[in-house]
Amino acid sequence: MAIVTEREFPIPASGNRLRIPESLSIRAASLVVLVIVWQLASIAVSAKYVPGPLPTFAALWDNAQSGALMKHFTVTMVRMLLSFAIAMLVGMAIGTVMGLYRRAEQSLDLVVMVGLTIPGLCYIIVSFMWLGLNDRAAVLAIAWTTFPAIAINIWQGVKAIDQRLIDMARVFGASNWRRTARVVVPQVLPYLMAASRFGLGIIWKVTVLVELLGRSDGIGYMLNYSFQMFNMADVFAWTLFFTLVMLVIELAILKPIERRLFLWRPEIRA
Amino acid sequence: MADIAVQGLTKVYRSRAHPDGLLALDGVDLSVVDQEFVCLLGPSGCGKSTVLNVLSGLEQRYAGEVKVAGKVVSHNSGHPFRVGYVFQEPRLLPWLTVRRNIEFVLESEDIARSEWRERTDAWLHRVGLRDFAEAHPHELSGGMQQRTAIARAFAVDPEILLMDEPFSGLDELTARTMRELLLEIWLETRKTVIFVTHNCFEACFLADRIVVFSPRPGKIRKDIAIELARPRNYEDSRLFELSVSVTHYVTGKSVS
Repeated sequence: MAIVTEREFPIPASGNRLRIPESLSIRAASLVVLVIVWQLASIAVSAKYVPGPLPTFAALWDNAQSGALMKHFTVTMVRMLLSFAIAMLVGMAIGTVMGLYRRAEQSLDLVVMVGLTIPGLCYIIVSFMWLGLNDRAAVLAIAWTTFPAIAINIWQGVKAIDQRLIDMARVFGASNWRRTARVVVPQVLPYLMAASRFGLGIIWKVTVLVELLGRSDGIGYMLNYSFQMFNMADVFAWTLFFTLVMLVIELAILKPIERRLFLWRPEIRA
Repeated sequence: MADIAVQGLTKVYRSRAHPDGLLALDGVDLSVVDQEFVCLLGPSGCGKSTVLNVLSGLEQRYAGEVKVAGKVVSHNSGHPFRVGYVFQEPRLLPWLTVRRNIEFVLESEDIARSEWRERTDAWLHRVGLRDFAEAHPHELSGGMQQRTAIARAFAVDPEILLMDEPFSGLDELTARTMRELLLEIWLETRKTVIFVTHNCFEACFLADRIVVFSPRPGKIRKDIAIELARPRNYEDSRLFELSVSVTHYVTGKSVS
């Protein structure tokens, strides 16, 4: 008796290996096109209103030379990371409780939804009015704006936990701790990843806004300063720098973590 | 001796829909001798799966006494014996490879790490998945996933093997091959098996004894010994006749 029937051959692995360089070259090409369009726009309008790539990079270089770049970048990063950590902790706690207990879900889902809807600007103004124009208020405002999105993702993740897999582990004698670490956490991890994605996306935008409104350092402040001076090259330089930092975090930190964690999920790997 | 003795097992489910409680099992007595293959047969909602949940330790609130291999299944400490369980769905951890899925239960059952590779390889070989040890579940067909689940259940060398409609989610052709595979392995290992199904033909093909359940409240209606020689054969005309009469019995029609 044949043990493997003909029907049971596995799905053949698709040519993922070949596609990676191709997708990379397409991305590189799109970047090149973007820079060319930028240069053309600068020529078409005027270098005063649309500084081209070269003056922008020159301005960036000047800021790096003077030490301003590093100083304001560090300040912004510290504010961001601190707020991110707080927002993640609060968001995870609230999301987990909401996912586990129906009462908590019923009493908190509207609150979280409203929290998500109120513009970040409102939180920023309120924080500054409560605590004064200082870094505590800045961090509070940023974390406050960010945590509802994180809570919602974790909430969905906890709700989506497959109890049947936990039962399986229990039947086969897995201890309570083991079930949590090896069966529950891996199920929530994709949602945790999505939560940090959303969180970072919001935090980038809110942090510069906070710095523009109530701080005298950081990238947001420098953007505002360049605006006051009507120094378009500097505005472009700071924006470009900010974008590059975001890209590096995305490509060098988030993507590799995701790839390692979710190798088993075909829809993400593809 | 992995015999099973269930006495006066009663289970009441309380829920919002049934504030006074829904009687799922009403005083069920069931005894299974060591190395016996018993099928619990009945329509859905008759409490068959509840019996498995009690035996596996998943269900801890019930009345009555349950003994496996002479040891009482206590209400709070779970099960003091090893259970192999094959669920209706494969219930593999999707982020682990086939090999790691089996190692996960070996580790959970405190089986020495030095034995893992040999056991896993032997059982994957036995179910025809030798070349798929490093595959992830999503790369396997439904039948292959269920083979993995069977290998996993046998790999822990369980005292009792519980199966909850394990082939009902497969197409009939795959299910047939799987039943034959299961019987081959069972003849080699002679585990005590309780197999829940609503498929009369499947029950007749597999079991030494069929215990017929009736629903609301879940009760044992009849105990039928299947005295067909093993190894069994799908084409056996006696098997067919037997399954017709069991079907009539379960559906309440008179036997012609």
